[in-house]
Amino acid sequence: MDEEEIEKAVMTYLKKKGFKQTELAFQEEQQRQHPKTALHSTNSHVDPEIACQILSFSSELESNPAQYHEGYGKLRSWAYSSLDLYKHELLRVLYPVFVHCFMDLIAKGHIQEARTLFNSFREDHEMMHARDLQKLEGVLSPSHLEEMEFAHSLRQSKFNIKICQYSYDLLLQYLHKTQSVVMLGLINEHINFQVSPGQPTSISDDAEVVTLMGSGQDAVNLINQKEIHWGLLEDSLEERLEKAGALVPDSAKVDGEAREGEVEENKKRPYEGGKQGASLKKSKKDKVATATGKASRVETSTVSVAPRVKPELTLPSIPAEVEHSILEDLRNRVQLSSAALPSISFYTFINTHNGLNCASISQDGSLVAGGFSDSSLKVWDMAKLGQQTGYATSQIVEDSYPSDSLLGANSGRKSYTLFQGHSGPVYSATFSPFGDYILSSSSDSTIRLWSTNLNTNLVCYKGHNYPVWDVQFSPVGHYFASSSHDRTARIWSMDRMQPLRIMAGHLSDVDCLQWHANCNYIATGSSDKTVRLWDVQSGECVRIFIGHRSMILSLAMSPDGRYMASGDEDGTVMMWELASGRCISPLVGHTSCVWTLAFSCEGSLLASGSADCTVKLWDVTASTKLLKTEDNKTGSINRLRSLKTLPTKSTPVYSLQFSRRNLLFAAGVLSKNT
Amino acid sequence: MSIVPKETIEVTAQSIGINNLSPDAALALAPDVEYRLREIMQEAIKCMRHSKRNLLTTEDVDSALRLRNVEPIYGFASGSGDPLRFRRALGHRDLFYVDDKDVDFKDVIEAPLPKAPLDCSVVCHWLAIEGVQPAIPENAPVEVIRAPSETKLPEQKEDGLPVDIRLPVKHVLSRELQLYFDKITELVVSRSDSVLFKEALASLATDSGLHPLVPYFTCFIADEVSHGLSNFPLLFALMRLVWSLLQNPHIHIEPYLHQLMPSVVTCLVAKRLGNRLADNHWELRDFTATVVASICKRFSHVYNNLQTRLTKTLLHAFLDPKRAITQHYGAIQGLAALGPNVVRLLVVPNLETYLRLLEPEMLLEKQKNEMKRHEAWRVYGALLSAAGQSIYDRLKMFPSMPSPPASTVWKTNFRIIHSCSANLLEEQPPAEKIGNDGALVPLSNNSSDMETDKDPAALGDSSAGRSSPKDIRESHSERRQKRDQLEKRILRTPALLNQAWKDDLDSGRLLLLLFELFGESIFPFIPSPEMAFFL
Repeated sequence: MDEEEIEKAVMTYLKKKGFKQTELAFQEEQQRQHPKTALHSTNSHVDPEIACQILSFSSELESNPAQYHEGYGKLRSWAYSSLDLYKHELLRVLYPVFVHCFMDLIAKGHIQEARTLFNSFREDHEMMHARDLQKLEGVLSPSHLEEMEFAHSLRQSKFNIKICQYSYDLLLQYLHKTQSVVMLGLINEHINFQVSPGQPTSISDDAEVVTLMGSGQDAVNLINQKEIHWGLLEDSLEERLEKAGALVPDSAKVDGEAREGEVEENKKRPYEGGKQGASLKKSKKDKVATATGKASRVETSTVSVAPRVKPELTLPSIPAEVEHSILEDLRNRVQLSSAALPSISFYTFINTHNGLNCASISQDGSLVAGGFSDSSLKVWDMAKLGQQTGYATSQIVEDSYPSDSLLGANSGRKSYTLFQGHSGPVYSATFSPFGDYILSSSSDSTIRLWSTNLNTNLVCYKGHNYPVWDVQFSPVGHYFASSSHDRTARIWSMDRMQPLRIMAGHLSDVDCLQWHANCNYIATGSSDKTVRLWDVQSGECVRIFIGHRSMILSLAMSPDGRYMASGDEDGTVMMWELASGRCISPLVGHTSCVWTLAFSCEGSLLASGSADCTVKLWDVTASTKLLKTEDNKTGSINRLRSLKTLPTKSTPVYSLQFSRRNLLFAAGVLSKNT
Repeated sequence: MSIVPKETIEVTAQSIGINNLSPDAALALAPDVEYRLREIMQEAIKCMRHSKRNLLTTEDVDSALRLRNVEPIYGFASGSGDPLRFRRALGHRDLFYVDDKDVDFKDVIEAPLPKAPLDCSVVCHWLAIEGVQPAIPENAPVEVIRAPSETKLPEQKEDGLPVDIRLPVKHVLSRELQLYFDKITELVVSRSDSVLFKEALASLATDSGLHPLVPYFTCFIADEVSHGLSNFPLLFALMRLVWSLLQNPHIHIEPYLHQLMPSVVTCLVAKRLGNRLADNHWELRDFTATVVASICKRFSHVYNNLQTRLTKTLLHAFLDPKRAITQHYGAIQGLAALGPNVVRLLVVPNLETYLRLLEPEMLLEKQKNEMKRHEAWRVYGALLSAAGQSIYDRLKMFPSMPSPPASTVWKTNFRIIHSCSANLLEEQPPAEKIGNDGALVPLSNNSSDMETDKDPAALGDSSAGRSSPKDIRESHSERRQKRDQLEKRILRTPALLNQAWKDDLDSGRLLLLLFELFGESIFPFIPSPEMAFFL
């Protein structure tokens, strides 16, 4: 193999590819090197193999789309026949290679070949990546690649694959031996191997090892470095109650000269340990003090000593009588745990004719709202519902006076209050914390505020451009957040027509959202399969949680502000630790969409309601305790214990709500045929 | 290459008025169309999820189109009842259309208003009380989900949950009864021709205290019948067992009838009973027919649909020309045993067509197979006897005149039959006759006159029907002798007669029909005087 031939081949390749700069540089280099022939000769006789490869490479690239199919097929059969111990690691490589083979073929216009490749190998990845494959299946021309975010982001970023040293060596050997240049190119271009010495990892954490996207992951890591203050609000009612009960000096309340000083729980966040120094130590000491103080009072209480933070929003004041009733509720709260399960009151909607889109229950369970696809919002007063039947019987018994007038006033015997105003299906409704307002969001891209006292529409908030999928009141009321098909989430206050903040960043619809207990953050779940946490004050994204395999449908924040649960279309529920951004445990058990999640008021139980017609109760404390005591990375293997599965009679569960006294309310619609 | 073939693009283009779309353009458009379709469906699925459903509807697709600023497709609303379906156009392989029925405007206007749909409401119940599901109708039944099996027991104990598992109730049977049952079953299966079996049957029919065994007997019978259809003695023994059980006044058999009936009916209308030529399955069918009839007679007031269901089954077997001739025989026997009324209402109307079918089977030249011919004749015999029984019963109904002297019984009958046949021949509506009731004596005179006038005609008819002339002459003279007495009787009982006239018109027709079908072989079933006057 002559050296000049190689150079020629390289030149033609560069020309064909239009790499002008490189070409020039190459030429320059050539000229510079020509005098030093001595050096060259040494080079040249080392390299015949490479030259051969380069030549074949250039010729192959032009002509042969079948190369991809063949190359991938070979790689696949090699991986499947490899050593059992390393097989699962090597199999992980297949998916990225497969996806990129497909996209490369599309990009080069070999649509037919791409199709055959896709169809012949899709089954391998169906189990892990079914939804991604469904999306990719639709890509049929190079322009689609550009248009579709998913494909775009795949091509932009790299896959991270954790692999052990030996598997890596095996792979390299294979690639060299077979001279499958295409595969080698793909792997170099799109896969970022994180080679670890020693034994291969276990199969069980397959999921995390592969799906992450390369360059995107760095950004995610960067974002997840940001600190968040997940502590509870200082001076909240709960805290006041505790103080009143135990007379513990309010040590958790730090003077608060700087916000960051107050909150950290440094055990789990070693990477921030350096930054914060003295103030951190101080707060830690304080916490210990509170912890011992409280432990003497309530030992069963699982509410760990949550650090306190100041609200970043100006909070509305609470009327005295409401405050009183809340305090009363808190005093009467039932302590729930794995041994003491809650009572569940179930509200079943009947005769909805498939029109109910959402259900919502007020804090105390006395009001139930349903959003319908005929643009109406209906609110039932459960207290009155009981009375009504009472009247009906009393009418027969004591025929004389009160019943007639009451029935007459009952507005045509309707058991509910009808709110009309939207011009599209109502997708979400939420009660204000004290039950005097309802917000509803609709496909007509507006959000409406209704008063339950006046039975009328108060405000119509316009701002979103597309259907508003979800709206949620903040835990203190007054503020609310909405999420929409336009890929944004917005923060509003009741007294402004315009949104206060717009959170943009999701790559697809924002499907659900939830406020953090301290009102300083909101979490949003999206069709791009991520959950993000946003700082309400700054509007920045402070966490990205990656791990779900399908659209996220429900979110819940633990009352101690430390954890978040998210449920997806496949029936998986994931528990996340906000501080670290890690998934502490996937909860597997539901077989269909998880429509709703709710933490019990002291955070020991998680309830989930699903389209598979069950309510499941999960033990939160068991797993988190384990996490604390071990305090290491194996926490992710833990599964939260499923405490109880409560089947309903063919009623998918749309909504769950713990009252302040820890009574669980659930709502769903009776459906005969699902 | 894409799931949208280029032909689809071409057809769509034509439908919107682009006739000269080049194949290349279609080919290039196809993948993009597929991509857009997928995009729309992706949005539609989002809408579906936000409506908290798992079933994609056309509304979802419409709202997805609206999201993309595309006009929704109208006219495809998915109703709850019948979804729209595309139908393939006849003669075209790839042309489909939505079946859109023409609705008559008048029908729509005149249709009664549909019921207003029930309004949405909310009901409340306890799904769980402190984590335990109360057993109320609103909750899903717990038993279904957690089947009480032995293996699950320890698991639940570990959980520390108090679970109340009930064992199935055991039916306690005394040792004596068990022995008795074993003995009887053994006799039935192996030695049904012994004397002992006869005694056993007698014991079954009379002994008190056998009631606890009834469920076991019914099970036994059902099992044996379903397994032993080729074992003729066994089947016969089983039917006799049923018969004895039915006879026993101490046994309360109603609750088990539903288990018993299928086996009994099987023995009546099964295609083959027994596998040897020597097996007289006709006898078994006859016997079973009486069993069925007695069941019907005894329990039809308890199960008021028992007889209707049974007759439906039998009639179905009878009228299905595909069934074997033996099955027809069984069905006919069963129906006949249910009483003459059943025969008259169900069998007789179908007689003519059936006999036409049967005839070729019976004739030597048409049906060479001796066995088949024999079977056909058997059926013919059964039909004849059934029909004859019914007409006999019919004719027997009339003589219930108040305190009739023995001799006048048939005189009255004679009169009725006679006038009836006269009516028939004249085709005179009965109303007219009844209208003449006011003047009875003239009427009777009148009718006797008619009689004399018409007799030759009747005679002619009869002889055409192959009856013997001698009979006719006899009957004729007899008739004349009795006329005087008859007139007296008529004078005394106008009201009854009135009713009788109505009935006798029917039976006269029936008689005529049967005569046409069976010829003179029906005569033995007709009491002689009536027959005489009929002729």
